[in-house]
Amino acid sequence: MIFFASYSPLKLYRKIGLSRSIGLGLLSIIIISTVIGPDLVGHDPAKQDLLHARQMPNAVHLLGTDHLGRDMAARLLSGARLSLSLGILSLVTAAFLGISLGIIAAWFGTWTDRFLTSFADAILALPGLLLVLILMASAPGSWWLLYIGISLTLWVEFFRYTRQRSRIILAHPSVDASKNLGLSNYFILTRHIFPELRNGLFTISAFGIASAITAIAALGFVSVGIRPPMAEWGLMMTQLLPYWREAPFLILQPIICLVLTILSLHLSVGGFHKK
Amino acid sequence: MTLLSVKNLYVFIEDKQVDLLGPISFSLELGENLTIMGETGAGKSLIAQAILGSLPTGLKSRGDILLKGEAIDNLSPKKRAALWGDIITALPQEPWLSLDPLMRSGQQVAETHRYFKSYNWKEAKKQTEQQFKKLDLSDTAQKRPFQLSGGMAQRVAFAAATAGDAELLLADEPTKGLDSHRHDKILSLLKAIPQKGDSLLTITHDLDLAYALGGKIIILKNGKIVEEGITHTVLSSPKASYTQALCAANPSSWPPLSSCTISSKENILVQSEKLRIGRNKIAFIKGLDFCLKAGESLAISGPSGIGKTSLLDTIIGSIKPMGGTLTRAEHIGKWEIQKLYQDPPTAFPPLISLKDNFKAVTKKHKMAWDQLLQLLENVELDASILERRPSNVSGGELQRLSFIRALIAKPKILLADEPTSRLDLITQETCLNLLKKLCREENIGIILVTHNQHIAEKWAHNHIDLNQFCV
Repeated sequence: MIFFASYSPLKLYRKIGLSRSIGLGLLSIIIISTVIGPDLVGHDPAKQDLLHARQMPNAVHLLGTDHLGRDMAARLLSGARLSLSLGILSLVTAAFLGISLGIIAAWFGTWTDRFLTSFADAILALPGLLLVLILMASAPGSWWLLYIGISLTLWVEFFRYTRQRSRIILAHPSVDASKNLGLSNYFILTRHIFPELRNGLFTISAFGIASAITAIAALGFVSVGIRPPMAEWGLMMTQLLPYWREAPFLILQPIICLVLTILSLHLSVGGFHKK
Repeated sequence: MTLLSVKNLYVFIEDKQVDLLGPISFSLELGENLTIMGETGAGKSLIAQAILGSLPTGLKSRGDILLKGEAIDNLSPKKRAALWGDIITALPQEPWLSLDPLMRSGQQVAETHRYFKSYNWKEAKKQTEQQFKKLDLSDTAQKRPFQLSGGMAQRVAFAAATAGDAELLLADEPTKGLDSHRHDKILSLLKAIPQKGDSLLTITHDLDLAYALGGKIIILKNGKIVEEGITHTVLSSPKASYTQALCAANPSSWPPLSSCTISSKENILVQSEKLRIGRNKIAFIKGLDFCLKAGESLAISGPSGIGKTSLLDTIIGSIKPMGGTLTRAEHIGKWEIQKLYQDPPTAFPPLISLKDNFKAVTKKHKMAWDQLLQLLENVELDASILERRPSNVSGGELQRLSFIRALIAKPKILLADEPTSRLDLITQETCLNLLKKLCREENIGIILVTHNQHIAEKWAHNHIDLNQFCV
């Protein structure tokens, strides 16, 4: 209750500004509907009903049905679940990897730093999607390879930021003072380094999830990502593309979902530098 | 002719309608020289910012600012910025931070000539060359700022600031953090301004600088004028009690050290013989002999870059001596050599509360929290200060907090690297006296690094001038 008392919506809005309010509002709507939406819709996203294919939105099928008569709302939500969960999972993995290796590189310096930095540069030299494509080529449609591939492209950003910032922080006299006073490495990590990294990591995380979701959709669109009959936004776009003239409202739906998700993620961390 | 006149100037926080400063009134004639003095953190810089029209967001000024008889305080920000460089110019604090790090220094200055005086590039380059020759900078035109020494960088910044031939130069703390050699250099540059017929407004807490500049002076306390007049009269026979305290706090007028004897020979903490110090195989200092006993103070002085910090690092053990011997007493434990830092805000983790920091230190060194509160009381600090972050605490308070923080570790030796060079005179005196008292009570040997000859001679038991040991 204290939380609500001290942060009335108006105060919160003033504190974080217009664009972030919109972003966070949109993001919460997307997350809430992803979590509880499938139960509310009540249709099976894989159940075909060829007699009622390509229906306009109606009372039974809120967003209509696709070319195989599957409920669009159920498929979109199922796709959202897949994209968001895979995106978040890859991001957590990448963040864990990138932050720990970044701090290790900054802390130990010398050859540890050189080795890790050249490794990160080597990954950075490959276009992100290409790396995932190479992995996916060995076993198309594998969920695990998709996860590993996306995590592998995302961690570099975390690594580079963490290493760069930590090197500056560790050279600061206050760290020298803390070491001199006998304070533990844990103190330096949690009181010197993490507070300074926090805001930047938020931004990188939001952009990271966004690019993970885009990558999943892009791979689905070129049919190397998630396989049918699973519902996935990029895959849905490919499948609905032939019908764009007769039923444009169908292909527009996954596109709008993707755009709104990416937009909400980007907006929710925008303007972090402003007080 | 009156160049600048300020009447009843106030600077206030817009939201809260709280005055930070004011009323301030003064006038400055062409060719005249005015110094504004006061404590650090009292908002002296706000005066310069109000005149320039560059107050931080959230702060506003009211009152009249007249430049050549015309009111400028209600002009649009754009029109005020148009005065910069042409009529008003500002010499930045710590100029080496204000130069473009990637541009050759000659180019940076030529730019000012090109755009402010509308010369073509060829003429601008020629003007720059002449200016550099006058400032003794001829060989630096092709160098980038990181290749310049601090003094050279300062002269380059000075050249850039004055290239537009502005009639009014605002110098905000021009000597902050400078050693005496660089101090004299900047002084002679500033002195030349009124002689040229332009006006100079200096804002400083440096009494020696104010005295050397002469002209008129205004003494500020808590944002109000307490005394004003001709500099030499005001400073030699101060009337207001604050001015008297300020003059008395200048190290050159400190009373000489009352002789006291440190008897016990057994209590030698650290001793060196023919010590040779350097970094990366380049020696800075040779043949240094010194000895520090418990409860004793030792001052080390010398210009910047002579190796004072390397000497401290050698004593603390983070670099090895290149020759000679350095013996530390065996009973000195791992955490029993503590350091005090030059710039108090940089010695504390910036984004956590002081309490968080002190909790960790007291826990490590097994001191009860009540005992810490007692220590704080001894140095006249309120415990509530610990709730804040370092950036919300004044420099003097923060330096006292760092004494206390060092004392928690129960040190035997305290190394203080210019601990007061960024504080104003009165705060400096209180801090140094406190430091001396604490060290005597706790029987700590202290080594003080300073560039101020007077402090070195009058504060410490022993004084080493590193100039004599320079390689």
